[in-house]
Amino acid sequence: MKQDQDEFYVGYQPKAPAGIAGAVRGTVVLLLLLGAVAAFLIVREQKDIAAALFEFGVVREFEGVIAAKPYPMLRVARPDAAGDAEAFSRYLLVAPFKFGADPIVAPFDGKKVSLKGTLIYRDNKTMIELAAEDALREIGGGVGDKPVSFGEVTLKGEIVDSKCFLGVMNPGELKTHKACAVRCISGGIPPVLVVRDGEGTVKTFLLVDRNQGQVNQAVLPMVAEPVAVTGELVRLDDWWMLKADPESYKLL
Amino acid sequence: MSLAYQAVGWNRQKKVYDGWLAVGILLYLAVFMVLGAVLFPSITAETLLIRGFGTASFVLLHVILYIGPAARLFPRLLPLLYNRRHMGVSMFVLGLAHGVLALIQYHVGGDQFPLVSLLTSNGDYASVVNFPFQLLGFLALGILFLMAATSHDFWLANLTAPVWKALHMLVYVAYALLVAHVALGYLQNHAAPVTTALLGLGVLGLFGLHAAAALREGATDKEAEADNGWVYVARVDEILENRARMICAAGERIAVFKYEGKVSAVSNVCQHQNGPLGEGKIVDGCITCPWHGYQYRPKDGASPPPFTEKIPTFRAKVTEGKIYVDPKPLPPGTEVEPALIQGEGVA
Repeated sequence: MKQDQDEFYVGYQPKAPAGIAGAVRGTVVLLLLLGAVAAFLIVREQKDIAAALFEFGVVREFEGVIAAKPYPMLRVARPDAAGDAEAFSRYLLVAPFKFGADPIVAPFDGKKVSLKGTLIYRDNKTMIELAAEDALREIGGGVGDKPVSFGEVTLKGEIVDSKCFLGVMNPGELKTHKACAVRCISGGIPPVLVVRDGEGTVKTFLLVDRNQGQVNQAVLPMVAEPVAVTGELVRLDDWWMLKADPESYKLL
Repeated sequence: MSLAYQAVGWNRQKKVYDGWLAVGILLYLAVFMVLGAVLFPSITAETLLIRGFGTASFVLLHVILYIGPAARLFPRLLPLLYNRRHMGVSMFVLGLAHGVLALIQYHVGGDQFPLVSLLTSNGDYASVVNFPFQLLGFLALGILFLMAATSHDFWLANLTAPVWKALHMLVYVAYALLVAHVALGYLQNHAAPVTTALLGLGVLGLFGLHAAAALREGATDKEAEADNGWVYVARVDEILENRARMICAAGERIAVFKYEGKVSAVSNVCQHQNGPLGEGKIVDGCITCPWHGYQYRPKDGASPPPFTEKIPTFRAKVTEGKIYVDPKPLPPGTEVEPALIQGEGVA
């Protein structure tokens, strides 16, 4: 028999026999290549990443009028508004981590404020995560706005928490994000219904009950599930709101 | 082999092994992270890290599970098996990084204790489709932790080889949990046909390798019949010098070695990790296990001093160029005079 056919490897000897070492070297190179190819094939399918952004670590200052209900918002005049464009934008306000900003903004309802926070935005929808300390400062009085009704509609989509969906987490929807969405909505982050048309256009609708109250706890069992919501469609400046009692939501 | 316990008894081979293991892991993570950041500029660093660590761990688990049957089919790959525990601990660390980051990302900073949130906030335990996939990953990580924590020979000696082996066979439970974790998690909601195909290929490949290795071992495990208390093994010229032929008789796997004009028979089962001694070789006068190099003297099945391991021995005889063994095992460490090939006598 040939010498190399009876090679035997012992790990505590200084070197592996030449034939075995060659076979292992070839296998290791193959495994490295296969690993790199697997990484390439897997990562190129991570197509669930939206064009959304959370300016983590960047604190900016904003001025506007606080609207504490139904969910905390900052109403900001749009200096460039022309034609049919809304004259005001509304930035949803949330607290750091997985909590809503209701207790922070309640004393400033209807007042003009200067506030510090971090921008979160996606598809022309903007949110501000308030700075951890001294986020709001009153600088005057403000003018509110009345919602405009567009009648009854039925919309099909997914309930998500607005903070993660708008950019804090990416992706911030579907089953892999469900647990986080439940935590956020439970903690006071405004829930929104995400509706996609056949061409992939995404629209978000703030969910409130018929009395325009918050629905956070009531929607928890339906988060990240396909649902149909029938209710009154209302516009608040550049935000759409859907008024319907959560008991009437239908799981699809 | 070692007598005293050290965290890791480093030698050149282990350093080479771990060096290439590190290269492999870093290469995977680099390809995943760099391409991910380039292809999807909006992806958050946390998402990239969670997915990178998770997939790296799962791919490495496949390599780990493939090595066992592959080394049985292609013995030249045995060096990959030698320090596989280093691969296992690395795989656990990657999985742990994935799990901890996911726990922080999705459950910390909310209105509930993170571990409670992990177990309660996603899904319906009574449903297959909506089953909370996180729990499956959490359980798998628990098993992998037990395995990583007991991977050292200290635990192997103290738990005893059968208990340790049974504990480490739980890796297949962890693997099944992780397949379900991936299928009911990421793959359920995302159109990822190539990733799905890779997972299917990974599972099928593992089954295929195990089936092929089992088929090969099936021939060895065919029960040999005794004639007047002796079981035929092979002709003398069918066994290579310093090598063995394995047979299964009276429920025992027996390794019959030919060396220096003699024949000795011992249990096929290494005391260390139940490795197949019959696939080993006589090195420096001792039967040497192919898995981790544990050694036993052929005549009495005892490890050379100062080591203390002992395995059962068997009587052997050579008649008219044919080797026979008495399948009744003798107590571990019992000295048996080797059968002489030229004189053709009974041991």
